[in-house]
Amino acid sequence: MQTLLDFWAGYGSTVVFAMVNSFFALSAYAVLSTGVLSFATVAFAAVGGFLAAQMVGKFGMPLPAAVALAGLGGGLASALVAAAFLKLESHWMALASLALVLITRVVALNAPALTGGVNGLVVPQRISFLQLLVLLAVVALVFHRLSRSWYGLAARAVREDPAVASTMGVSPYRIQFTAFLISGVVGGIGGAALAFTLQFISPETYFIGLAFTMIASTVLGGSFHWVGSLIGAAVFTALPVTMQAIVPQIEDVAKGVALLLIMIFLPRGLIDPRAWGLRRAARARQVAGGATQAEPHG
Amino acid sequence: MVDRTLEKGAPLLETRGVAKRFGGVAAVDGLDMSVTQGSVHGLIGPNGAGKTTMINLITGLFHPSEGAIRFAGAELSARPPHEIAALGISRTYQNVRLFSGMTALEQVMTGCWLKRGVSLWSSFLGPAARARWRETRAQAMALLERVGMADRADELAETLSYGEQRRIEIARALGSAPRLLLLDEPTAGMNHAEAHAVGRLVHELRDGGLTVLMVEHNMGLVTEFCDSCTVMNFGRLLARGEPRACIADPAVQEAYFGRKNDADRIKSLR
Repeated sequence: MQTLLDFWAGYGSTVVFAMVNSFFALSAYAVLSTGVLSFATVAFAAVGGFLAAQMVGKFGMPLPAAVALAGLGGGLASALVAAAFLKLESHWMALASLALVLITRVVALNAPALTGGVNGLVVPQRISFLQLLVLLAVVALVFHRLSRSWYGLAARAVREDPAVASTMGVSPYRIQFTAFLISGVVGGIGGAALAFTLQFISPETYFIGLAFTMIASTVLGGSFHWVGSLIGAAVFTALPVTMQAIVPQIEDVAKGVALLLIMIFLPRGLIDPRAWGLRRAARARQVAGGATQAEPHG
Repeated sequence: MVDRTLEKGAPLLETRGVAKRFGGVAAVDGLDMSVTQGSVHGLIGPNGAGKTTMINLITGLFHPSEGAIRFAGAELSARPPHEIAALGISRTYQNVRLFSGMTALEQVMTGCWLKRGVSLWSSFLGPAARARWRETRAQAMALLERVGMADRADELAETLSYGEQRRIEIARALGSAPRLLLLDEPTAGMNHAEAHAVGRLVHELRDGGLTVLMVEHNMGLVTEFCDSCTVMNFGRLLARGEPRACIADPAVQEAYFGRKNDADRIKSLR
């Protein structure tokens, strides 16, 4: 018990940030799982974060309601983004969403009435660990159900080969639009969770750093299963902290090095259902091969 | 043979002056084709004749530069692929295009998308939808059974042999219970026995009411399994009608084997 308390005292905030980052990673995963690389999650998070912070700060809205509203705001923003961006080819899509991240910051800086501008906003409420845990559990459950639904099957088909999927009656546009809505809601919720964790947000909170963390988490964890996003966010949040404890000299480059190593040696991430299937098939072949080889001797 | 096509009545698929140009090159150049309801129709021609382009035009992956494609009374030429699929056209690919990372069963389940019978929303929420999911799963298993792949249902499709992948692709295409099935070289890379199994399957499907349009290089299979055929060369119609008559056509012989004179010369050299 004592060790547990010690751990919490030392690493409690790391666990909390890993959970917050999970929302962003899942938001990025939501679109990536239909073959769209998008950084727009950062914009959805900004919408959700500032919306929730203002609702709580100015109108005294209870925290759970503010989080729900943040999800709604993120979802609305994502509908606009999807309508505007989904016509683009994949690499242009990624670039356009990156441009959106830059625009988000400038807009946030120049709308002090809504965002506090350069001075930022103090958020007068804090999300409890339990609330955060419940919120993440609900979102994770949704992803779990989605992955086993018709949507999940169609999403995988669209990601692997949109043309073939379309000749089977799946509309890639509709599936990717849905993916954006999911990404927007989860991104908005994540933005609010971040605001209620940091208790101070500014336009810099929702910027390139966040984009990097979420994409890296998804890639590292594995973008072919939603659990990968959770694992990736945990590893990626814990990595700098542990590095600081063990070898402080390389703390700054640890993230970059880890990402490079993963991309070179595990390009499909830590959690990769396809690799399990391939290994199973290889084992089955080995067993079959062993059996036929054994026959002449017997 | 010709009488039999008349018996079965109106064409299910009809193209009029269909052309597809890529830059200055016409892959298909004013093709008229008609596929009779309930028949197996062969689409043949030398490499580069425009057969696969034709399949892509019918399924909406390309849109024709000119001409009309009518299927069961509906004009297809401006529709997106998923709408054409919903009208009842399904296909396989010349180079097998299965989804990476999916098991054989999942591939066929995806093929059943149009027959899932529940909305996306209720498939996420409802327990009633789970019953439908199990039904669809059973249908997908039955299709795998039909192509002789039921025992490999839970294996990743990419770990299977080429011929097996082709059979899974056919099962996937049947998942949507189509009215017209387009098979793009379904027996490529198969041995004689496997190819004949596919031919027999095609006949079973036809006898069950399905119309089949198949691109096929194996002339033996075409004469044995197709009720009628269309021969293309350089994107144009070369011959059409009863398969044996088409293949015997001097123009077809020349397209496949070179000029008649050359053939005679080879004979005289022997």
